[in-house]
Amino acid sequence: MRRYRYDGSFEGYLCALSRCLAESVESPEFLCETLPEMSLFHELAVTVETDGEIANAFRQLFAATVSSSAFSTLRYAFCSEHIEIERLLWEYARLGFETGPRLGSMLADKRVNIVDRLARKVAGEAHRYKGFVRFREVEEGFLYASIEPEADIIRFIAPHFVQRVGDRPWMIHDLRRSRAAVYDRKNWRLLVDITLAEPPRFSEAEHECADLWRRYFRRLAIEARINPKLQQKLVPLRCRRHLVEFDES
Amino acid sequence: MTTLSLEQRLTMLADSAKYDVSCSSSGSNRKGAPGGIGGTSSGGICHTWTADGRCISLLKILLSNACIYDCAYCVNRSSNPVPRTALTPDEIVHLTMAFYRRNYIEGLFLSTGVITSPDHTMELLIRVARTLREIERFNGYIHLKIVPGADVGLIEEAGRYADRVSINIELPSRRSLQLLAPDKPRESIIEPMRRLSGLIETARRERRQSRKAPRFAPAGQSTQLIVGATPENDREIITLSEGLYQRLGMKRVYYSAFVPVSGDSRLPALPGPPLLREHRLYQADWLLRFYGFSSHELLDEAHPNLDMRLDPKCDWALRHIERFPVEVNRADYQALLRVPGIGVRSAQRIVRARRACRLGEEELKRLGVVLKRARYFITAGGRYLGGVRLDAPELLTRLTAPAKRKASHDQLELFPAAGDISAVTGEL
Repeated sequence: MRRYRYDGSFEGYLCALSRCLAESVESPEFLCETLPEMSLFHELAVTVETDGEIANAFRQLFAATVSSSAFSTLRYAFCSEHIEIERLLWEYARLGFETGPRLGSMLADKRVNIVDRLARKVAGEAHRYKGFVRFREVEEGFLYASIEPEADIIRFIAPHFVQRVGDRPWMIHDLRRSRAAVYDRKNWRLLVDITLAEPPRFSEAEHECADLWRRYFRRLAIEARINPKLQQKLVPLRCRRHLVEFDES
Repeated sequence: MTTLSLEQRLTMLADSAKYDVSCSSSGSNRKGAPGGIGGTSSGGICHTWTADGRCISLLKILLSNACIYDCAYCVNRSSNPVPRTALTPDEIVHLTMAFYRRNYIEGLFLSTGVITSPDHTMELLIRVARTLREIERFNGYIHLKIVPGADVGLIEEAGRYADRVSINIELPSRRSLQLLAPDKPRESIIEPMRRLSGLIETARRERRQSRKAPRFAPAGQSTQLIVGATPENDREIITLSEGLYQRLGMKRVYYSAFVPVSGDSRLPALPGPPLLREHRLYQADWLLRFYGFSSHELLDEAHPNLDMRLDPKCDWALRHIERFPVEVNRADYQALLRVPGIGVRSAQRIVRARRACRLGEEELKRLGVVLKRARYFITAGGRYLGGVRLDAPELLTRLTAPAKRKASHDQLELFPAAGDISAVTGEL
């Protein structure tokens, strides 16, 4: 058995994966540097440096050998943060290099199926968050949104909001991972280890607007059709903390 | 009229707008433009769901709830003694931009009661859309209601700004319209729909030739039917929808279970909105649009109404039991789509996965195909998964037997004679 240590990023993982496949290791183990409890094994692991070029070369090779949609499946699935994701994707990638483009139709194969499911789940959550992000106006013009998604979806939704609210600086803050996508009206970047020193102070207009929206939202339900169970299925309770329309205060 | 606060008027007008079902923001794909704000995404995006489980995608609002018409089923009918109010076009623009920027909504769905005249009303709606597009450089979704009877020139202008346009038929037959909406002859609704369909088609053709050709409602037109206010049976409704899809290129027909909003004697007294019937109609509608069914396959003179116990595809399959079971490893896509319990996504995944390996029960489950109903209608690798004799009466009992959820059970009891509402109204 061989252990590879990488920095926890997708690019880092691709570097580790590509090295491990080149060394044809049977049952490798991947250690993520951001997980402190793993430090016990650190001495035994090979540290793989993150190198954008290697990651990119892997992407191109995989897309050419299998398909670009299979690569995108791999990328989405990685962000599920499933406890065994590195091993699952290693199996997926290895199988992909063996079978080539046929991998795409091997949905009934266990190894493909699980990765495909995870990828779809992440893509689904990313789509939902295109709707669930709620920007709140902090200072003159600056917009702040907090989210706590199950999967690490911020990089999938940030480009959407660049298109959407391109005329204002904004920040989408993943509180669960202390990461944020920050946009300065030109480009967006991902910042890590971001926590707010104090809760954001919203503008006067923000309170008025949120209040109007809340009232509108409540009034729009048709009494004779009230169905809280259905509503809860569609807007899970854990999402509501960040949705102004569910804010009871 | 405008002495009420913005907040009061907003909620009053939301109240008046909420019976319009349509809220989709799909069908249009526009990238954000430099200097502008927003865009649309072709799949549509839902932003939240209200306590009745309906999605909010657009700011659905009326410009005014005053109306010169007196349609019995409508909450805004002129004879209804409710307070009337309005928002100014600028207020609506402002609200739309503020809500959009905070990502509460995908855009605006603007409707209104008819004020003074159809032309005047249409002009007000257009003013909102034009300001959004030209002054605010808003690229999000706009759904505009077209006022029946408005001038063609105005309709053309509306379609230049809107992604989607709609005129609600509301009542499925001429007789019902005459009775409940005496101010709106059927021609005044169908005629502009036909005109819209022509304009949408022409614009689409021209834009295929030149990207510079003006847009006209790129997300097409939709309409809405109220279900349960009048005695039409499901067959009349589904046949009408089929005609609208085929002949007018309608994008969507929405069905709205009738919620009594007045004690008008021409309307039936229902114990509650016929939600299950509405659900079955949507299922049948989906079969028309995505599953290759035609209305006469689902309903005919002998079966003028959808079975409330079973979904319409199951019902069809039991009446055509000789076509089953189908072998999942060989059946073509269209035949798979006709298997109860197999939806578009499952059928696609089956077709894809069987290229790589032979599918048995295990594989089907892994693909996420729900076998609860499908098992009675398929074989997998030659093996029949139903475990019972393939016999329609036997399957009917099995498929309807466990009334699992209490809620759906209640509804079965409420609408045993969904097609027999004439007995309630006594007038039609």
